[in-house]
Amino acid sequence: MLGMLKALKTTVRHLPMKKITVQYPEEREQLPERSRGLFRTIIDPASDDPRCRACTLCETNCPVQVIRVNYESKYELPAPNEARIAAVRADLQPKPDLALLGPILDEYRDAGWGMMAVLQHMQEAYGYLPRLALTEIAVQTGTSLSQLYGVVSFYNQFRLSPVGKHIITVCHGTACHVAGAPLITAAFSEELGIEVGKTTKDRLFTLQAVSCVGACALAPVVRVGDDETHGRMTPDKARSLVRDLRKLEGLE
Amino acid sequence: MITVTDKASAIMAGLKRAYHADAVVAHEGALEVRICAGTACHASGRPAVTAAFKEELATCGLADKVRVVETGCHGFCEQGPIVVLQPKGIFYARVRADDVAKIIAASIEGDGFHEKRLYRDPQSGEPIPYEKDIPFYAGQRRLVLALNGKVDPYSIDDYLSQGGYKALAGVLADNDPEDVIESITASGLRGRGGAGFTTGTKWHLTRLSAGDEKYVICNADEGDPGAFMDRSVLEGNPHVVIEGMIIAAFAIGASEGYVYVRAEYPFAVDRLRHALDQARQRGILGPSVLGSDFAFDVFVNEGAGAFVCGEETALMQSIEGKRGMPRTRPPYPAVSGLWGKPTNINNVETYANVPWILTHGADEFFAMGIDKSRGTKIFSLTGKVANGGLVEVPMGSTLRHVIFTVGGGMLPGREFKAVQLGGPSGGCLPADMLDTPIDYEILTASGAIVGSGGLVVVDDTTCMVDLARFFLQFTQDESCGKCVPCRLGTKRMLETLERICEGEGREGDIALLEELSHYIIDGTLCALGGTAPNPVLTTLKYFRHEVEAHIDEKCCPAGRCKALITYYIDAEACTGCMLCAKKCPTNCITGEKKQPHVIDTAACIKCDTCRQVCNFDAVKVRSGIKADATAEKA
Repeated sequence: MLGMLKALKTTVRHLPMKKITVQYPEEREQLPERSRGLFRTIIDPASDDPRCRACTLCETNCPVQVIRVNYESKYELPAPNEARIAAVRADLQPKPDLALLGPILDEYRDAGWGMMAVLQHMQEAYGYLPRLALTEIAVQTGTSLSQLYGVVSFYNQFRLSPVGKHIITVCHGTACHVAGAPLITAAFSEELGIEVGKTTKDRLFTLQAVSCVGACALAPVVRVGDDETHGRMTPDKARSLVRDLRKLEGLE
Repeated sequence: MITVTDKASAIMAGLKRAYHADAVVAHEGALEVRICAGTACHASGRPAVTAAFKEELATCGLADKVRVVETGCHGFCEQGPIVVLQPKGIFYARVRADDVAKIIAASIEGDGFHEKRLYRDPQSGEPIPYEKDIPFYAGQRRLVLALNGKVDPYSIDDYLSQGGYKALAGVLADNDPEDVIESITASGLRGRGGAGFTTGTKWHLTRLSAGDEKYVICNADEGDPGAFMDRSVLEGNPHVVIEGMIIAAFAIGASEGYVYVRAEYPFAVDRLRHALDQARQRGILGPSVLGSDFAFDVFVNEGAGAFVCGEETALMQSIEGKRGMPRTRPPYPAVSGLWGKPTNINNVETYANVPWILTHGADEFFAMGIDKSRGTKIFSLTGKVANGGLVEVPMGSTLRHVIFTVGGGMLPGREFKAVQLGGPSGGCLPADMLDTPIDYEILTASGAIVGSGGLVVVDDTTCMVDLARFFLQFTQDESCGKCVPCRLGTKRMLETLERICEGEGREGDIALLEELSHYIIDGTLCALGGTAPNPVLTTLKYFRHEVEAHIDEKCCPAGRCKALITYYIDAEACTGCMLCAKKCPTNCITGEKKQPHVIDTAACIKCDTCRQVCNFDAVKVRSGIKADATAEKA
């Protein structure tokens, strides 16, 4: 009885109030003509941190340039957590030697290298772009890590994980495609047991596809490493190429 | 007081100083072995051939009489490695290291030929010993590629001895930038990168833009699959591009230049860097170009494998070290380009044309070509054609001339089906369009484009739907994702085409593809999106029956789409040699010796190995509902 009265009281109290709910689609809000809704950054409910990392990509790409990223956020980014940093570093296998970055950074400062050249030389030194080294570059050049990551993930050339000893690149240019490149890729993929873009577990082979190496007269073309080019491939030749390389490594 | 003539003579003296008179240079009359060192010839075994020549000549005691030169790309990539013997001009193709001794004995010491490695006419089989008689070369008009195959790309003296940097010296001596721009405009030269914008106008606009600092950029990010002319020019004769860039910089008043070159072209990058170093040492680049008061230097930027960076605004973003995403134009680069400064950006081939125009005169350039397309254009001819390679022909030549006269027609036993022009932005033209002249406007009207100049010839074994799907897959992968119609529209189109190739095409799919295409063309910022639907639209225009066969009859007429085909062995043709059974990766072919084999279609993965290894053409492909029905009856 008491409960019912309480509920009735709430109902009566709300009766004269203005209704908030809009009965869409029967009723519609009158919005300004050019309204596009409201942008807001999403707060991750699990950690109470904002999801936005102020990478400024939305700012660069907005076609009408209405986004301004305010770097001084009212939210505090998570405090550096010793345990987490340690865990991330332990994951980096093999641990990159940061001394290799010295000459690259010197060139960056003295010769005015662009960021692309820095990243390309980094990849040449390590074989891929280790996170620790990227962080170091970010700190030393005054760029944010997220911006660097944006650049790195944009270009096909950059790799964020270590690659195999032999990088097998199958050309997928038009001439190669017409001459049967998909069959060659399928043959490699089957023989190695990996998909395109992946590395075998023994870290011996990486299989990748490239859009054109410009040796169209020899289609279909396969490149092993940087120097070795094989023209006029067939699925059968592809399989024996892998077997030969394995033999060379003392397997089989 | 320094007079104008004093200045001019100082510049001529600078040019003379740059040339080291005692250097050994390429010379038409001298005994020379010219070995092509382009990427294709390298891949076919050029290093071994060069080593063999040096060794053999030393054993014969001819080492100091005959000069071995590694030149840039000769353009006839199909026949690599190529060796040309001067002064007779004897052309050897597909040379192996063990042929070298015989070639030296026959043609250098003796007066004959080593018949086995002479080029043979693909139709008649007759050997053609001299380079100048080979139809592939005789049918061309080489301006940009003139020195390719003649000079050593690592030697600036070679280039200087052939009249190199003379055009630049002339321009600096006259000291009249407006006049240079006028000549280029009068020549009718248009951008060779694809869009075909008038080069003279572009230079003029950049010159007019306010700003004390201006840049010139050379776009060598040749991402189109099937195009390699820029690579060959940079590999074969990097100095001609540098000379063109310096002239452009002088004309517009720029002080710095950049070459944005693909990292996938290691030879081109290496030779370009070497050429730039040499030009700096000889005073052709630097604070005082050839002794004049004009300062200019060029830097190399390597690309990182993003097709969209061939778009001018994206390319500049990439040089600035950002994600290579195109932006809205205007402002055009001529007004606000690299680092916000006025920038002139041209393609490799465009710059390479400039020295020729200034040496031979704008009128002579204008005399070649038709209507608004003047001069020559290089095409990289590939696919199922007999003589693939680099072809430079005057504008206005027909596609038939390029493919059948210069290219020597189709490979023996193949039937011409279509020619794909302009890579992922272009389209496919069928056999009855072969007499179309090469002209920017006419080709655009046909649905294809001149583009960067890739020409891929396909025969009846290529599925046009699959080819369209391939190009869409490429643009979908390379779309930077900025414009929604390009990012999502190409994805949806690709899914539709994949469905058609999988045999799940539905009625209305063709209309859907056409509708999406128009939305994408209208709703994107840059040319990548704006031209992405072209391959699909031309396929629907000229090869509609093939698309309809995929949808209605679930049949792939070319026998390429895996989901629509089954492999079988023709019992009459099979000799029971067991080769296919041995090579089959899934062991799905069974049969006794000398008995016809059978393919277990359930286990077959359609890898095509059996068909390729069969020596008797007994492995066949059937496709479509009708074919299946006849097969069951049998």
